[in-house]
Amino acid sequence: MTQPEKQQVESIVGMLDKRMTRQLKQYMDVCVRCAICKDACHQYVATGDMKYLPARRAELVRQIYRKYFTKAGEFVPALYEARDPDENLLDELYDATYACTGCRRCMYYCPFSIDTQWVVSAAKGILLAAGRGNEMLGQLADAAIFKGDNAEMFRDGQLEGFAEMETEVRELTGNPEATIPVDSEGADILYVALAGNHSILPAAVIFNEAGASWTLSFFESANYGYFYGDPEKARLIAKRYMDEALRLGVKEVVITECGHAYRVAEMFYEAWAKEKMPFRVRHILDVVDEYIREGRITVDQAAIAERVTYHDPCQIGRSGGIYEQPRDIVRAVSRDFADMTPNREKQWCCGGGGGIVAMEEFTDVRLKSGAEKVKQIRATGATVLACPCENCRLQITELNEVHDLGLRIVPVMDLVVEAMPLKGRVASAGHSADTESTG
Amino acid sequence: MDTFSFIASVVLVYAGLAIFTLGMAWRVWQWSRTPRSPVRLALYPKPATAAGRFGKLMKDTFVAPQSFEMTPKLMIAAMAFHLAALAGFVGHLRLVREFDFMVAMLGEEGMATFAAWSGGIAGLVMMFAVLYWIGRRTFGPYRHLSTPEDYLLLVLLLGVIVMGNHLRFVGHLPASVYIEWFQSLLRFQPTFPPELASSSTRLALNWHMVFVAAFLSYFPFSKLTHAIGAFATNLVRSSE
Repeated sequence: MTQPEKQQVESIVGMLDKRMTRQLKQYMDVCVRCAICKDACHQYVATGDMKYLPARRAELVRQIYRKYFTKAGEFVPALYEARDPDENLLDELYDATYACTGCRRCMYYCPFSIDTQWVVSAAKGILLAAGRGNEMLGQLADAAIFKGDNAEMFRDGQLEGFAEMETEVRELTGNPEATIPVDSEGADILYVALAGNHSILPAAVIFNEAGASWTLSFFESANYGYFYGDPEKARLIAKRYMDEALRLGVKEVVITECGHAYRVAEMFYEAWAKEKMPFRVRHILDVVDEYIREGRITVDQAAIAERVTYHDPCQIGRSGGIYEQPRDIVRAVSRDFADMTPNREKQWCCGGGGGIVAMEEFTDVRLKSGAEKVKQIRATGATVLACPCENCRLQITELNEVHDLGLRIVPVMDLVVEAMPLKGRVASAGHSADTESTG
Repeated sequence: MDTFSFIASVVLVYAGLAIFTLGMAWRVWQWSRTPRSPVRLALYPKPATAAGRFGKLMKDTFVAPQSFEMTPKLMIAAMAFHLAALAGFVGHLRLVREFDFMVAMLGEEGMATFAAWSGGIAGLVMMFAVLYWIGRRTFGPYRHLSTPEDYLLLVLLLGVIVMGNHLRFVGHLPASVYIEWFQSLLRFQPTFPPELASSSTRLALNWHMVFVAAFLSYFPFSKLTHAIGAFATNLVRSSE
């Protein structure tokens, strides 16, 4: 082994040691390679390629673990297939790791509940230590951190955009007082959207109609540091809006319709920051469901005439526990709701999670791996898909085109706004009708 | 006692049990000194109460209903093997202390018949399950996932089971002979009863014990630590 190779091995082993938790150690030690996980993984089922078999993804990390973290593997490497992290191993690890969408369906079916995503996060650490992290994800993460460090540079442009959206919200709601508040100290809610208007406008309509005390974050909730596999970058990206929430003294941080962003904020951030946050983290659909149940907003059940189905994003479903709220909402705006089979914790991943939609090199496996989701959607006979995750929507939009599903794919909030009897829309419809009859 | 018998049925028994006990303690100690994951790794839905979590842990660990749903054939084989192994383990406790209440209930002959049937069935079930696993690993599409460790463990298990079945089906020595031998080990005054010393069955016992000692010694350094690790890993899925 050359000196640079030795240094790389040291760096990899050091990183794995840093990330070695009790859970990871046990996952490394107890897997019996029964391969029950093979039928749980959408990528393996679609391709039959061993590198996508969850146990094999974990086995690559285990080979390094055996060699450097167990005496048995050190003394009898051949017995355990313990090996050095050479270029061949790292090549296979890169594909197996960054292709994984982190859906955790394999964990659900594993007799020992081995969390392959947790192992994959350690694998990403290995790749980062070897200088082999995915470049695109790394650049997106750095850009988000740069925005956090230079918020003032972006502020005026953002405020201009928010003001334009505010006009739209006033027109739609027919309420000249409707606002998109920013930097509002003492507001109850800090709403953290995605980049772009699509996740701000419907939320603004809903918050205004519900009379909520809210304020909009300057930062987007998407977290490419998490997909990249660097907890420090992920923490810094989430810290941008967490600090904002602390500064404004809000009671709740509400994350938009995004799977991983909710999990980062609710499940991971406090552990990464080593600090208990003085506010709740909620998913926007939990809030909207509450508004409908409490009558704070009104929706028309006859509003969506087509059959609607719902896709459980893995990060808010299996990993976030949000199953019923979106279904309650969809049922409130549509009389023809058809659930997919299987659903909830058994739901198939659409194939678009884990940042894979941002990595072109995985386009082929990504589209192939959507086969089970396509079958599920077709079986419902639905023409509208309610989908509360940006990555899932991007993936299913492509599947829709490739497989000619004829679907309208919408965020759940958009359906809610469609079903709200908004004064602005009623007035505009009346105006159109008048114009037509006059014409 | 001849040299091979002394090594296999005395020295290796003590060594195997000592390595197994210390090895498992060392493994658990290693796990316990590694810090827990700071982030929440649960899967949903999960029980809201501690009692609910305990119930789910037991169900997930002993029944694994999700795995059954996914791969019923494999899980039936796995469950049959584990139940047969449990029956075999319980049966072997007679070596430590005779089940007097059962002897009182069934009589000497009834007990021997019961042990012959239950032990025989357990031995056969285990043997066929292990053969199925060897076949699945060797001829199935998962050959590339299997490591030498997987085969070594299956071969050791097969050795233990085949020699155990030999004692059961071919040996024809009464249980009292084996009990007497094992009791002598417990008293640290190892000896073979005359019936065993003079019978060729002692060779089968010696080989049975060679495989048992190898299996027990390897256990703590293998994936078989799932025997206790599964409780910890399954708890994570419903942790707070």
